[in-house]
Amino acid sequence: MSAESVDALLLSVRVAVLATALNALLGIPLAWLLARRSFRGKTLVDLLVTLPLVLPPTVTGYYLIVLLGRRGWLGAPLHALTGWTVTFTWHAAVVAATVMALPLLVRTARAAIESVDRDLEKAAWTLGRPEWRTALEVTLPLARNGILAGLVLAFARALGEFGATLMLAGNIPGRTTTVPLAIYTAVQTGETADAVVLVAALTALSCAVLVVAGRLGARAS
Amino acid sequence: MSRLEVSIRRRLPGFDLDVEWSAGDGVAALFGPSGAGKTLTLQCLAGLLRPDAGRIVVDGRVFFDSAAGVDLPVQRRRVGYVFQGYALFPHLSVAENIGFGLRSRPRAERARRTAEVVERLGLGGLEGRRPAELSGGQRQRVALGRALAMDPALLLLDEPLSALDQPLRQALRDDLRAVLDDWRTAAVVVTHDFTEAYRLGDHLVVYDAGRVIQAAPRAELLWQPASEAVARIIGIRNILSGTVVKATPDRIQLRWRGQVLEAVNSPSRAYLPPPDSPLAFFIRPEYVRLIRKDRGAPDPQHHMNLMSGVVVGDADFGTTWSLRIRLDAPGPPAQGDYDLEVEVPRLVHEILEIDRDRRWQLSIHRGSIHVLPG
Repeated sequence: MSAESVDALLLSVRVAVLATALNALLGIPLAWLLARRSFRGKTLVDLLVTLPLVLPPTVTGYYLIVLLGRRGWLGAPLHALTGWTVTFTWHAAVVAATVMALPLLVRTARAAIESVDRDLEKAAWTLGRPEWRTALEVTLPLARNGILAGLVLAFARALGEFGATLMLAGNIPGRTTTVPLAIYTAVQTGETADAVVLVAALTALSCAVLVVAGRLGARAS
Repeated sequence: MSRLEVSIRRRLPGFDLDVEWSAGDGVAALFGPSGAGKTLTLQCLAGLLRPDAGRIVVDGRVFFDSAAGVDLPVQRRRVGYVFQGYALFPHLSVAENIGFGLRSRPRAERARRTAEVVERLGLGGLEGRRPAELSGGQRQRVALGRALAMDPALLLLDEPLSALDQPLRQALRDDLRAVLDDWRTAAVVVTHDFTEAYRLGDHLVVYDAGRVIQAAPRAELLWQPASEAVARIIGIRNILSGTVVKATPDRIQLRWRGQVLEAVNSPSRAYLPPPDSPLAFFIRPEYVRLIRKDRGAPDPQHHMNLMSGVVVGDADFGTTWSLRIRLDAPGPPAQGDYDLEVEVPRLVHEILEIDRDRRWQLSIHRGSIHVLPG
């Protein structure tokens, strides 16, 4: 395997792991909020989270540039404050992968949380637990398999993310070139051997992920 | 002194709960058909549902008072709630379920209390099991133990027996009564089964369509239902209607199916309807006496309210037989094709050969004809 391929593989795994961690941090509380609470703007939040699932990834990427680019709504103040911009760094790949994977986790975890019997939560309240402790001690443990299945799907999505990553992070070899981008580049430049190795690696990884997700799903139901 | 004062108003789409009752020592049983508002009341007591208005006081502690702006959160009410279906935490062991409400106590104290509850409810040896590995009866005990472990100010039980099969149900009903007697916590039981309400409750509150139609000690309810509606809901048979002939504070004479019956007036609320007004009354099937033919002619002094009729239908209930009797009186029968339902013990049915001999004279003691207030 060429040095570039190894770099791409390492970067992809790092991006996918970080994106999955961010998904857990953001997505699980979000799934709980959507499943269990009613609040103003709930429909809007639900829509925003789900949108990357149906939009072309390049469109999602474009919105991310509008939001985070050097002249973006959030990016401009950030640049003014720190002189740093996320675009065209490997962090941007993490951001793109996180946003693209989030709907998969949130939808799966939300369904799992909604399937937990509400009487169990009410029982915990009568036994003195505030709502957040009830979520930690009762709801989330009981929705565990569904949440884990969602995380596995999110990881797989993050690993294979292409369009939004290309828009926000670019394709800079050794810095932002993840495996899918490396495969695209290799095919474009006729380096078929590199492409085949990476395709095989990604396929194997994705198969493993699907098997794990399938087992978790079977146990959840 | 009443330990429990409840006054709740809550409007829901298509349903309007407006109830007020109180209960003293012992167990209050909320009884009534499904959808009458019993479980909603429990949820308001627990703090899981907020009434639009009202006041809930338990042993002098104000849980809710809309006028004073008090609404104690569910976590601070210390209410033990036994859910229909029990709602045991499936991922926790029996001991962890029972100890769940003791989190604020030191670890050693928590373990001691859990062990005590396990012991007292006869769950020894099952501490490490998951709820899925327990029988229906054991689950009920764990649910009770979890609610009782924290010394609740009030214990609420929502259809505590409905998750069980019929044979187990009766045994556990008596079991549950023993536990309630043993712990002496103020308790409210919800049930749609009158036998259960009667066995479990000291004080019965009858619900119908979001209202309380009677609240009384259980014996009073059984013998003096406040209205025909209560009598029907608690499953009283032979609810009949006649017309008043004459009413005095101790007796009421009424005309029914062409004859005059004499009844005792209700001692607690002597009821003096004017002559010729309609009057509802009931006769318990087990209190109608058949006159034996081998003992000479009936003595009118001894056998009051004498009637005669024919058995037009009978049903075998195992230990008793239920007979449907049509009286020898002109006009349509009072209850479809018969006038009175009479219940006789199986032995009596055999000795009198009722399956063969269908024509009988009957008598009803005046004390067994119960007048229902209009």
